[in-house]
Order: sequence, then C-alpha cells, then structure tokens
Amino acid sequence: MTKLRPKAESQGDGGEGPDGGYGWVLVGALFVSTSLVFGLMRSLGIFFVEFVQYFDESAQAISWISSTGLAAQQFFSPLGAALCNAYDTRWVVMTGGCLAALGLILASQATCLVHLYLTMGVISGLGWGLVFTPMVATVMANFTRRRTLALGLAFSSIGLSSFAFNPLFQLLVELYTWRGALLILGGLSLNIVPCGALIGPQRRSKAPAKVVSESGVSCASFLQRASSYLELPLLFERPYITYTLAISLLNVGYFVPYFHLVAHSRQVGFSEYQAAFVMSAAGATDILGRIASGWFSDLGHFRLIHLLSVWTTLAGVFIMLLPVSSLSGSYAALMVISLLYGFCSGALTSLVFAVVPMIVGVERMMGALGLLQLIESGAGLLGAPLSGLLKDITGDYTASFMVAGGFVVLGTLTMVTLPHYFCGKDPPPPKSVSPDDPDKGLHAELEQMHSSPSDMNDLTGEVTNNRLPEDTYS
Amino acid sequence: MSASWKQLCLQILLLLVSCRHINTKTPGPTPPPLIPIDQLPTDVRSVALKGESHTEKVELLNPVNLALECTWTGNQDKLANITGLWRKDGEEVKNSNQTVPMENDQYNLKRVFSIVNEEDLGSYTCEFGSKAKIDFVLAAPQIGDVRDKPIVSYVGDFVVITCKMEETKPEPSTWYWYRANGTDKKQIIAAEEPLRYEIKNEERKTKLVVSSLVETDGGLYFCGAVYAISTSMSHVELKVISFHEPLKPFVAIVIEVIVLVAIILLYEKSQSKKNSTAAENGTTDQTNTLTQGESNGPAEISSMRQRKV
Repeated sequence: MTKLRPKAESQGDGGEGPDGGYGWVLVGALFVSTSLVFGLMRSLGIFFVEFVQYFDESAQAISWISSTGLAAQQFFSPLGAALCNAYDTRWVVMTGGCLAALGLILASQATCLVHLYLTMGVISGLGWGLVFTPMVATVMANFTRRRTLALGLAFSSIGLSSFAFNPLFQLLVELYTWRGALLILGGLSLNIVPCGALIGPQRRSKAPAKVVSESGVSCASFLQRASSYLELPLLFERPYITYTLAISLLNVGYFVPYFHLVAHSRQVGFSEYQAAFVMSAAGATDILGRIASGWFSDLGHFRLIHLLSVWTTLAGVFIMLLPVSSLSGSYAALMVISLLYGFCSGALTSLVFAVVPMIVGVERMMGALGLLQLIESGAGLLGAPLSGLLKDITGDYTASFMVAGGFVVLGTLTMVTLPHYFCGKDPPPPKSVSPDDPDKGLHAELEQMHSSPSDMNDLTGEVTNNRLPEDTYS
Repeated sequence: MSASWKQLCLQILLLLVSCRHINTKTPGPTPPPLIPIDQLPTDVRSVALKGESHTEKVELLNPVNLALECTWTGNQDKLANITGLWRKDGEEVKNSNQTVPMENDQYNLKRVFSIVNEEDLGSYTCEFGSKAKIDFVLAAPQIGDVRDKPIVSYVGDFVVITCKMEETKPEPSTWYWYRANGTDKKQIIAAEEPLRYEIKNEERKTKLVVSSLVETDGGLYFCGAVYAISTSMSHVELKVISFHEPLKPFVAIVIEVIVLVAIILLYEKSQSKKNSTAAENGTTDQTNTLTQGESNGPAEISSMRQRKV
C-alpha cells in the first residue's frame, strides 16, 4: 500500500498529470491500429468489384460484407471493454489483432460468399471490436489536458490511411488478385499486435466492487462480475443515457453524406470526376477538422460539451444545406458546403469520445465506450436504409439529407438536456465506489486487493476532478 | 466428238462450281451471304467537306448496298473540272476515275458499294484530285472498353473473363471465344471440354469461365462479337500465378511483426528488471507491506515509472 503512495503523491503533486511522454507513443499506436481498423474498412470497396465478378452475386449481397464487419466491430465493443476490465488490456488488443488478421487470411481462401461474411465479417469484426475501444480508452486514460488533441491526431489516421490504402489495395489486387491481396492485408493487420504490446502491462485491473469471495464460480457471481465489467449499471444513469441517445441520433444522420453525396452530385448533373473530387475534398477537411478541433478544445476556453454541441449543430445545418446548395447548379456552392461539412464532421468526431470521461469518470470509461459503440451502431444501421428509402420514395436526395441533418440537430438538442449543461464549469464526474482516502493504514488482504489498484483509478479520477474546473478557464 | 466435248464442258463447269474462293484469312464464323446482291437494303451516307480532309465512321451490322456521297465546295482555284477517284484501303477502285464538273459551286462524287462480308469493310476514300479527300471507315460495332491490364488468377482456381458491348451500340447476334495459338486464333468450344471451359452468353455480355487453371493457360484470349457483316474482336491477357507469389510479402510482414513484438517485450522486461532491482534496493520496510495481491507491484510501479517520463 504505502509503496504506491509516494508514486501516487508524486503524480498528484507533479502538475503534469499523465499527459505527455509515453502517452504520445500510445497515440502513435492508436494511430496505426485505427488506420488498420477503420481505414482498412473504408477501402474494402476496391475488393467488391472483384467479388461481384468472381462470385457472380449482386452488389448489394457483396456490400453486406462490410456492413457485417462494421456491425460486428461495434457489437463486440462492450465485450472488448469487459475483457479489458477483467484482464490485461494489452493481451486483449493483441488477441484482437490476431483475430482480425486471421479473418482476412481465412477470407483469402473463401469459395463462397457465406465464407466471406463469416471471415471478413464476423471474425475480423470481432478482432476489430477487441482492438478499437480498448486502445481509445487507454489513450484517453493517459491524457487529461491534451486528451482531445491526442484523439484528434489519432483519428486523423482514418482519413489519411484511406488516401493511402486505396491505391495500395488497387495495386495489390492487380498484382495478386483478391485472394493474394486479402492474404497480404491479413499480414498488415497483424501490425495491430505490436501496437497492443506497446500498451505495457496492466496498471489496474478493475476489481468488481460487489465480489464477496474469491471462490464460488456460481452463475450469480459470474453475472454480477460480468455486469460490472460491462458497466451495465451505467445504463441506469441519466447523464449517460442522455448522452448515448444524443450520439445515437447523431449517428443516424452522420453517415448519410458519405453514402449518398457522390450519387447526389451525379444526379444534380456533375460529372463522375467532379463528384468524386467533392468527396475527396470533404475527406481532406475531415482530417483537418479532427486535428484542429482537438487542439482548440484542449486550449480549455470552452467546455467540451459546448464545443461538441456547436460542431454537431453546424454539421447538421450543413448536411441540410447540401441539397440546397446544389439546387442552383453551382459546383462552387456544393464544394464549399461539402468542405464545411467535412470540417465539422471531423471536428465532432474527436470530441464525441473525449466527453465520455466527463460524464462517467475515467475508471468507468472503458465499459462506457463499449456500450456507447454498441448502442450507436444500431442507430447507424438505421440511417443508410432510411435515407435510401426516402430517395426511392421522393426521387432525389433532398429529403434524405434534410432528414439526416434533422437527426443530427435533434442529437444536439438531446445533449442540451444533460444535467449541468448550462453551467460554466464541468461538474465533477461521479466518483468510483472504492475508498479514496490516501491516509488509510494497512488493511486486510482482501480490501487491499480491491482498493490498491483502484486507488490509482481514484487518483487519476481525483486529478481529473481537481484539474478540470480550473483548467476550463486557464 | 461433241459428247466428249459436252462431258468436258460439264466437268469444267462442275469444277468451277465446286471451286471456292480460297480465303487466306483465318476462317471466321461469318455466314456466307444468303441474300443476292441486288436484293440487299440500301443505305446512304453523305459528307460535305469543308476543309481538306475528313474521316467519317460508319457502323454497319448487316450486308447492305451502301451509297457514299462526297461533296466538296472546292478551293480558291475554282476549277471547272476536277478528277474524282475512289479508293478502298488505299488501292484505287477500278473504273472509278472520272471527271467531276463543278455544279452549283460544288463538286459531287457518288458511288454505290456492296458491303457483303468482312472483306468489304475497311476504309473507302473519295478523292478530289489530290486536293481533298473524305475517308469513310466502315466497320462493325467495336468493343469499347478493352482491358489493358492482365487478369491474374491462381493455379487450381477458376477465372471469369468478360467482354461487354456498350449500351449505345447494337447487340451482337452471338459471341465466340478464341485462344491465341501462335499467331493464329483457335476457337474455344465449351462442349469439347465442359469441365474446363464454360461460356455464358447474354445479349450484351459474355463470360468465359476457365476452371482448374494451369500455368500454360496463361496468354491472350479473344472474344468476338458476331454481327451479320463481320465479327468484332477484343482481347484480354490472362496470367496464372502460383500461390507462392503473395506468400512472399506476407511472410515478410509476419516476420516484421514478430520482430517488433519481441523487441517491445524484451525491452520492457529489461526495463522492469532494472527498475525492480533499484526499487528493491530502496526502502526495504515497504517490502514488508507487500501482500499477495501486490506481488506484481514492483513490476507495475517500475513500468509506471517509465511511463511518467
């Protein structure tokens, strides 16, 4: 116990907190692993042409592969979070990397479409789910002041890697056809494993507060532990529920431009090249937005939740303006609105995750992120078919974009109902259950087992508590 | 005497009838013209030349009597008469040399050609002296997008090669596939080797499926869109590679990953050993408070310490 004290005290007195140093190495690891998860997912479209020809299936059947992969990644996020709470984060991430690679390697041997759903969809999706949320939570735990900047830098990898992966995948498919290309992609995905190894040995293992005894692997105690690892009690807290609902509404409309902007531009009358260029330009400002918003948020002039509301409102407004701008037939207007939309959508991405520890506290962040991903995924699945349906009914994309933008703005309005929204300072996040008095003496073995790791959490939490209200206006 | 003469005549006649025109080109599947020439439909193409030369593309599907008209407004010389000439593929058409008078401030050349089979297609040129000419390029619809990169597949796998006729062009009556054999083309007949080849024809698309690939299957494949007048060809190159090819970069990447992970884990171990010895040399009374639950405390703290750099 006392051994940890001087460590903790130095951390508390240090004034730097966990920011910086090794944290930036972890940001680099998150950069690489995010690019290998989402950047890779975004560039899978290049394989679809090959699949359509080889398997003689419709484009819709083929597009289910990436939908399955994304859905699996989001569905298994709570599982990844729970496993990290129960065991060592680094091994979870390394296992996830191996699974993702295994899925792609097996996919290279596929002989029918169902094989692809199971391998590229389920297995790789499971691997990605075990990688993304734990890595994000680890990076966020390592930063307080520069948290949003760290996240923004890491997430900029998605846009940058899609730029790099598209021609790379094209080359691989030309040289080795899709089987060989998938095999090599599996190898590339293995690079997630060193990223996980960089996390280092577990600093804390979240001991469930309710475990009474070590023995007894009864169903009830297992369920209790599982529910605490998954942070299921969060689902009953109003701030978390409100925030999750807001982000889900955001998710319904957020992806619609990515799916439909090119088609909409072509329908309005622009050429293929012009439409693709609009998309690329929006992607470029997306990258800028992530980094810029991360840097600006960490300056501390405004509360993160307020900044997030601003970006989401703007993004929603620009989505609604997209069909309006092209009404006049002016390419410049469409380009400007798309650039602004790209910037805002990138800006809000950095903040969405960074706000979570404000609401639930750093120690519950892992499970909170997992649950958030799961719930928002359901909303995301709703968005694309809904907008497609609207387009089929009305004949053009105006209604789809209007509804999408409406959902985004609705998400902002939901966020406004968060408790303490209109306060000038961030409220302190809820404290964890374990005791946080550093002056307690020696305790019984059991209590020490529970409280010693969570002391670290508390101190991190305390640092967060002490920092934020002051830092807001520093 | 007359009987033998009659017999000779009959034999010669039979010989002439049974003799066919020897075609030195690769025999295509174009059927011989069934319609007598004078019953062919007629079509007209006319071009008015403004400059010195012009090329006009003419797309033909069926045998036709094609009337080609050339009109030229003349140049500054404004000669009363000019020599007009027709050429096919650069060679002068017999009896086409004529004198063309200027009528209504222009020169007119017109001729009807019977376009019956593939040899009649090509480039027809009307020339006005050596001053102006108009090229009519007669061809069956050509296959638009020709893939310039080779299609790659693996030994033992199957490959699908497609050919497509654009929507804007008329449909061919059928499709045929050929394989390059030296400089020749050998037709692929799926019925002969049903386990290896399969041809799926739709109106505008055709697919050749080659199964159980071996290395020798690589090379040029030709698809032919058959029209009544001729067959348009397009080619695709097939490359067959063994699975060892992509394995090489894959194994290289796996080795790189293993090396990285080993470096990271070894570095960490060495750091923790250093720090744990340093820590243990410190306050020994603190080690007394170590309990079972904190047995990994030093390792944690040392690794914590290195994180706080």
